[in-house]
Amino acid sequence: MAEVVRVYGHSTYKDVYVVELEDGSTRLATRNLVVGKRVYDEWLFKFNDVEYREWNAYRSKLAAALLKGIKELAITSGSKVLYLGAGSGTTASHVSDIVGLEGRVYAVEFAPRVMRELLSVAESRKNLIPILADARFPQRYRYLVGYSDVIYADVAQPDQASLVLLNAKHFLKEGGYLYLAIKARSIDVTKEPDEVYRREIDTLKKGYFDILDVIHLDPFDKDHAMVYARYVK
Amino acid sequence: MMKVFLTDVIVGAFAIDLNGNVIHKVVAPNDINKLVERVLKIEDDQPTDEFLRLLDELVSNYGKDLEVVVDNENYVKYLSDVGLKAVLEHGSEVLLRFREELPKHFVELGFIKSEGEYYEFLHTISLTITRSKLRRVAQKRDLLAVQAIRAIDDIDKVFNLFASRLREWYSIHFPELDDLVKEHIDYARIVAELGSRDYINEKGLKRLGFSEGKINKIINISGKSMGAELSGHDVEPIQTLANIMLELDRLRDELTSYLSSVMKEVAPNTTELVGPLLGARLLSLAGSLETLAKLPASTIQVLGAEKALFRALRTGGKPPKHGVIFQYPEIHKAPRWQRGKIARSLSTKLAIAIKADYFTGRFIADRLRTDLEERINEIKTLYAKPPVKVEKVKGRKPRRK
Ligand SMILES: C[S@@+](CC[C@H](N)C(=O)[O-])C[C@H]1O[C@@H](n2cnc3c(N)ncnc32)[C@H](O)[C@@H]1O
Repeated sequence: MAEVVRVYGHSTYKDVYVVELEDGSTRLATRNLVVGKRVYDEWLFKFNDVEYREWNAYRSKLAAALLKGIKELAITSGSKVLYLGAGSGTTASHVSDIVGLEGRVYAVEFAPRVMRELLSVAESRKNLIPILADARFPQRYRYLVGYSDVIYADVAQPDQASLVLLNAKHFLKEGGYLYLAIKARSIDVTKEPDEVYRREIDTLKKGYFDILDVIHLDPFDKDHAMVYARYVK
Repeated sequence: MMKVFLTDVIVGAFAIDLNGNVIHKVVAPNDINKLVERVLKIEDDQPTDEFLRLLDELVSNYGKDLEVVVDNENYVKYLSDVGLKAVLEHGSEVLLRFREELPKHFVELGFIKSEGEYYEFLHTISLTITRSKLRRVAQKRDLLAVQAIRAIDDIDKVFNLFASRLREWYSIHFPELDDLVKEHIDYARIVAELGSRDYINEKGLKRLGFSEGKINKIINISGKSMGAELSGHDVEPIQTLANIMLELDRLRDELTSYLSSVMKEVAPNTTELVGPLLGARLLSLAGSLETLAKLPASTIQVLGAEKALFRALRTGGKPPKHGVIFQYPEIHKAPRWQRGKIARSLSTKLAIAIKADYFTGRFIADRLRTDLEERINEIKTLYAKPPVKVEKVKGRKPRRK
């Protein structure tokens, strides 16, 4: 990989970095919380004695949303994030980088096979709390999860929005934020013909969420949009 | 009618009044197994022992004229069972505030020393719980650990074989390097990254992380080496071999960290006691966790020394004092006459740990480890001096007093 020319903080998103390479291209990156350790097949960059991890937008929907210019990144250092559908930890690990040791990522995932990978990521990341549970039953993990500033949901289920509402009721503080990866085929998401998509957005609105932004993730992810919303309970 | 809020958290069950004061509590013992058991119950929507006791004690202290608020619908039933009136309320201020203050309560109850440790505590608990839940659905993961450790041992063999070959081969070109660089991996790095003697310079060696002194020595000698000049065409295959060694080393690292996570799941006690590598070697020798769990301590002590054991049985000679557990640092670092005693003590603890891993999954290794360390210290002081040899000549002494 080409040499790093410089690294600078992203102009819009706090605690996210841009790595500029010799060939003039740039990469999104987060500061590696566990130096020397990779989580998926991302690149590690060293600059001025600080290590950064490439944040691959083709692998992480949140990175894609940032590259597509979503309005804000409400996850910053110190945030408490409830992550629903953490998978093997690709995106969750970057969120863990961003929130740092003062922050917290409660990572809910219900598939044992995937959880095994997430567990090994969590072993070295002290701010990542793995929770093997079904996100449809938040009372089962309420003993572990505290009040959260942000919910990040990517469970890839048709009834995601109601699952989010339930979790918000338990754990999201008033004025907290939501990022929801939602299935959406058309690139102009506001004209989405898909019934499912419209129903999901409606559910969110009825559940006291103000929709702040919706952005399609094409070309990084052709089937999803990211919804950004605020909890106004 | 008095209003109380009930909640069940990791460390116990609490009753809180409208002002947020804890009016009654039943605290669980500070033992990770107990806590994990509690949590698994909470997750299965069952009331914990502490919660049920809290209900009884509330009724006997305050009578039944209480309005009880809970935030879990499943608890409503247990409340009406003891004749209490229950209200279900999600996200009530009182309970939310109480949860926010949990770090403080944990400190007061002595589960942690300072509020700063709270999240570390949660992290540890969540990892333990997750592992124990994964174990419930796990199948044959011990066999994966067995294969992984065998692959690691294979890699070590191949690595050493290649290292000898590499040294012999490259020595045609730079014979003096063999003595200068003892670690195989360092040697391979020099050959792979720098190649021909002509490219061995300060900048390159520095990049590989060698010390100032070492760098000077290598450069010095390289200038007056007695080795043959080789063309790039001749050096290339040697570099390929060195590169494969680096690749093997990386693979070994990956396998080791994989093995460590599998072992923590399938055999957490064994792993805590002797580490993932030795733990997996024991598994590998026995074949599976089940077989290993059924072996007595005396067999575990000599696992991996079967040849010596059978020789001893055949010839009536001395049986071996230890098998693969010799790799346990406290054994191989100890003076010869202490080793058998430490080995016996370790294998006794190991047998308990392995049985816990297989039969109950309870985490008991912290206690086992303290016991073991105490016993080892005792052995070190009691048998600080080598035994006096003359006693043997006097004839047989009874083995035990
Ligand atoms: C698209 S993947 C998540 C990828 C991940 N967010 C990332 O970007 O790295 C969706 C995950 O949600 C999990 N999931 C689906 N339904 C769930 C539920 N009800 N509770 C918890 N996890 C669920 C699936 O097992 C799967 O791993």
